[in-house]
This record gives sequence, C-alpha cells and structure tokens, in this order.
Amino acid sequence: MGEIPVFFLHGLVYAGLLFLVSSGLTLVFGMMNVLNLAHAAFYMLGAYFSYSVLNITGHFYLCLIICPLFLFILGMLVERFLLRRVHVYGHVQELLITFGVAYIITESVKWIWGNYPLGVNLSGFLTGSVNLFGLFYPVYRLFMFFCAVFISLIMAMVLYKTKIGIIVRASVDDTEMVNALGVNVPVVFTAVFGFGAALSGFAGVIAGPLLTTYPGMAAEILVDAFVVIVIGGMGSLGGAIVASLMIGELQSFGALLFPKLSLALMYMLMAAVLIIRPSGLFGEEQ
Amino acid sequence: MGKKALFYVAVLSAFIATLICAPICRAADPIKLGACEPLSGTFKDIGDRYLEGVQYAAKVINEQGGLLGRKVEVIPIDTELKPDVATRKATKLILKDNVKYFCGGTGSSVGGAMSVLAEKNNALMLSYGMAAASLTGAKCSRNFFRACLNTDTQSYALAMWVAKSGYTKVLGIVQDYSFGHEAMAAFIKKVKELNPSVNIVGELYHKAGEKDFAPYISQIINSGAEVVWTPNWGNDLTLLIKQGKNLGMKAKIASYYLNDEYLIESVGDDSAIIGNVTAESYMLTIPTEKNKEFIQGFYKDKGYYPSWLRGKAYTATMFWAEAVKKAGKDDVEAVIKAWEGLTYEGPAGTYYMRPCDHQAQVPVWVAEMVKESKFFKHAFVGVPNMIAAKDIEITCEETGCKMK
Repeated sequence: MGEIPVFFLHGLVYAGLLFLVSSGLTLVFGMMNVLNLAHAAFYMLGAYFSYSVLNITGHFYLCLIICPLFLFILGMLVERFLLRRVHVYGHVQELLITFGVAYIITESVKWIWGNYPLGVNLSGFLTGSVNLFGLFYPVYRLFMFFCAVFISLIMAMVLYKTKIGIIVRASVDDTEMVNALGVNVPVVFTAVFGFGAALSGFAGVIAGPLLTTYPGMAAEILVDAFVVIVIGGMGSLGGAIVASLMIGELQSFGALLFPKLSLALMYMLMAAVLIIRPSGLFGEEQ
Repeated sequence: MGKKALFYVAVLSAFIATLICAPICRAADPIKLGACEPLSGTFKDIGDRYLEGVQYAAKVINEQGGLLGRKVEVIPIDTELKPDVATRKATKLILKDNVKYFCGGTGSSVGGAMSVLAEKNNALMLSYGMAAASLTGAKCSRNFFRACLNTDTQSYALAMWVAKSGYTKVLGIVQDYSFGHEAMAAFIKKVKELNPSVNIVGELYHKAGEKDFAPYISQIINSGAEVVWTPNWGNDLTLLIKQGKNLGMKAKIASYYLNDEYLIESVGDDSAIIGNVTAESYMLTIPTEKNKEFIQGFYKDKGYYPSWLRGKAYTATMFWAEAVKKAGKDDVEAVIKAWEGLTYEGPAGTYYMRPCDHQAQVPVWVAEMVKESKFFKHAFVGVPNMIAAKDIEITCEETGCKMK
C-alpha cells in the first residue's frame, strides 16, 4: 500500500484549508456568540484583494500581510457601525445584519472585479515541487498546511497564554465584571470581530492560488466552514482543528475507498457526531 | 376659450391618426424574440455571452432588411436560472406583448419548463445550449427546437476521438449527479462499440463543486491513464486541470468545455491547457467561409471576437430566422411546419432540423488546444476536424421521443 502516505498527505493539506476557512468563524462565535454569515464574504474579499495586490506589486508575500490587515479594518467597521447597533435586539438581528453584509460584499465584488473567474498566478519557489521521502509534492500545498499550523498556534498562544486572551475570554462570560475592572469591553469585541475577519481574509489569500477566485466562491465555502465548526463544537478552537483533520482525511481516503459515497461522507460524519454529542466534539453542553 | 378648442382639435387629430395608423403600424411591429438567460447571479457571464450572440444575429437580420419585412427585436429575460422565474416572466410577455418566440442556452431545467409553457401557449422555444438529451427525448415537444449538440451526441463525439486516437488507457471522471452519470454511460458504451481494445482504467465520481481534487488526481496518476475524459464544466473543470498539473498529472484531458476563454484564463497556466482535446458544435477556429464572415462582422461591430457561446447563439438564431422566412408568415404553427426538415448552411457547417424530435443534426468539431491563437492572448483551440452529424447520430427510436 504505497498509496497511503500520499492520501494521508492530501488529507492533511485539505484539513489545513478547512481549518483556515473555519477558524475566523469559530473564533467570532466562541468569543462573541455571534454567528457571522458574512464570514465567507470576507474570505472572498481576501481572495479578490490578493488578486489585485498580486497584480500590482507582484509579491504574493505582501498579499499575506496587506489583505488580512485590510479585512481587519473592514471587520472592525462592520462591528462598530452595524453589529453593535443591533446587538441589544438579539441573535436573529445579528444574523440578519451579517447576512446583509454578505450580500452587499458579493454584489460589490461583481461590480468591481466582474462576474467571471480570475486566475491567481504565482511564480517562483511556491509553484515548484519538493521531494518528500521519495514523493514529489507541490510546495504550495505544503505551504498551505504550514500556514494552518502557524495560525492555530498563534491563536492558541494569544487566547490561552496572554493577558489579552484572558480579557477576551472573560468578556464573554461576564461582560459587566470585566467592564467594572476598567476594560473597555465594546472595544475588545470590535477587535475580536476584526481579527475574525482578518483570519477569513487570510484564508482567502491562501485559497486563491489553489482554488478559483470567482463570485460563487463564498457560497461554496460557507457550508464547509459550518460543517467543521458544528462537528468540532461551536466556538471551540481545538474542536475546529480536530474536525478539520477528520474531514480532510475522510475526504481523501473516502475518494479512494468509497468512491460512490463522496457526496455524503462529510455529512454522514456530521450526523454521527451530532447523534453522539449534540453540541459537537468539544462543544459546551447548553 | 381658443386654447381649449385647440386642445380638443389636437386630441381628435391624434385619435384619428392612431386609427389610420393602426393597421399599417401593426404590420411594422417587430417580431419579438424573448431570450431566456441568467442575467444575474453566478452564471451571469454565460447568460450575457449567449444573449449577445442572439442580439448580434438580430442586428445582422435587421441590416439585411429584417424578417418578412419586419424588424427582429430581442427581449432579454433574466431567468436567474430558475424555471419558475423564467416561465413567470415569459407568460407575462406572451399575454401582454404578444411574444411568440423564445430562446435560451443555460439550464436544462429552464428549458424543460419553457418547453411545457410554449406548448400550452402555442409559442416556440429554441435552445442553443441546454444540453440534457431528454429535452428532445422523453420530454420532447412540438414547440421545442434544439439547434446544438446534446449530452449524448457530445459524449459520442469524444468517444469517437478516443477510439481513433490510438490511446488505449482511458479514465472517466464526472460529477456525481444525473448529468455526470448519463454522460459516463454514453461515453463508455460508444467507446467500447467503436474500439473494443480501449481499456477503461477507471471511473471516478466526485461531488459537484469539489474543492480538492488531489485524492482523485492521485488515483488518475496511479491508474496509468493516458487520456482523462470528463464532462465537467465550470470550476470543476478548472480545478481538475489546475490541480492536476500541479500534482504532476500527465494524461491528456478530453473535455466538452475547454473551449471557453474564461476557463482558460482562470486556469492561469497555459501549459496545463495545451495538448488537451475538446469537442463542440461551434468554435472560433472552424475553417469555413461563413464562419470567417461571422467573426469579421462581429469584430468590426464590437471590437472583440465573439467566443463559442456567442457563436452558438448566433448560429441557432439565424437558423430560426430561416424557418420564419420559409414559413412566410409570423405564425407559430407555420414556423414549426417550415422548420421541420429545413437545412441551413451556417458558420459551423450544415444544420438539418430533424422532424421526429426537433433535435438539429449538426456536425461536431474536435480540436486540440494549441499554444497560440489570434483570437486570445492565451492558449486556445486549434483548427478543428469535423465529425459529420450522421457519425454521431442517435436514431429517432433511441431518443424515446413521442411527439404529439
């Protein structure tokens, strides 16, 4: 079975992509209790900005910095001027406003960049292949996986090892107490939402060269991101990592072993997890 | 009160003018053709290009003196790719504006609904792109005409190419839904029939809208396939080519929809395109005089080349105009009768409208993708070879069409 390492690697890489696209969503839900339907639209914006930045500057590495920064700002604006206003009315209103933002972004993208697919062309080191224990593998796929590992480490460090992380986590549980301790909680939330948007944008930049940059990309990725966070448990970082790995490997080996089930595998896994643990693998019991 | 009197005179004379004009002006009313395309949403780029082909055909007809002495007017209908939206808007046009002719190229589900609507309202529906074989098969209708290939004939065309190519290891990869399954069955059946020595080394099914093709590409590489045949379209074709190249897949790809300038651009790497093979009823590189005329005329008018979708829509619309001319009157029943059995010499060769199922018998053009083309700054289709319509014919009995 010389095939196993290759398919395992394919699974890991796809898991990396899944984690990248779902990390922003799970962060915002876990820290703010907001289900952000504009998440996939931020992801799409990231990919489109990256296309433009790449065309202007010619440096893909610049995209990796500029685009998330831009989405960080955009995310903060959305939180400060839209989300915060409807926060007091409850979850349905929050859902609706992010849904509206998603629509506006999607239509604007069609206006600005046109309603057809764009090719993101890389050059240099990232387009090559490396010899990995006798196996030639595209550098970009490995790069994507390492980006996912990097992001998950950073998130874990910030949330669980720094003072900022403590403040953020405390703000969710007891807003009034944290407020009373002299922390400006609304600002914390604005920053968290901005950071979530930046993560989505980063995922978009990374996905651009592997997938296709076109106006349908947001709708396509949203379902996958939701499946990941539902399996992993809404708002759980560790859950998102584990769920991404499970789905990635399942898709990869599923295509090899159960070719006729490719359509259903991911949903079968979700159904199985939800039957055993209705709040997801690492979700908190409600 | 001179002012008031003047007003009455004016109204009266306007009224009389309308009365006199009515019969004459009526005759000069344009013949209206409703073009049902997705003009918003994800598939807007396809709908826009089809519509432009129809509009250009109308322009050419009008410049040559119109149809039966009347102008042709194209009315764009945004279907949003939804059958109910298409039929709702079309019904309104039938009742309010007396529109009798409709055309469309995107979405076989829209085509099916429009076919039923046309039959009910004594209208006519023409398709130049809705490919489900059943539209002129089990679901055929007297009021529905198709002037392009369908899934079966297109599969047969690529099967013929494979059978004659000398390659013996062939793998099929399709989207896991009815379209993919039907296309795969038709393809394998025809290949086996034409050349039993060809080995089908694999049949892969992936979900429509797949994002990571790596597990499938590894299986293609392991199977040792020399040719990968696929009816995939849109992003599923782009990603198969793009990620395949990246992972070191060397097999030639034989596909229906490679002939698309947007697709080639979104793959972003010409070396992944060159050498692959495509089959369609229309491509820019068809070496006929009529096609050169069409392309030059279009370029002069718009400043860019027409592309395959525009060409397909143009050819079919011109075919329809021939039928109306032959009928000699603007009457759906007469046009249906006139169109049955009609032959038309267009940019893509000779079209013949078969009376038994209203599926035009059209030649298929098969071409390899080449590095350079005057039409496009990327790699593009080379000069194609023609497969005659009779070589890919599916007999009337086989289609399952029983026309009332």
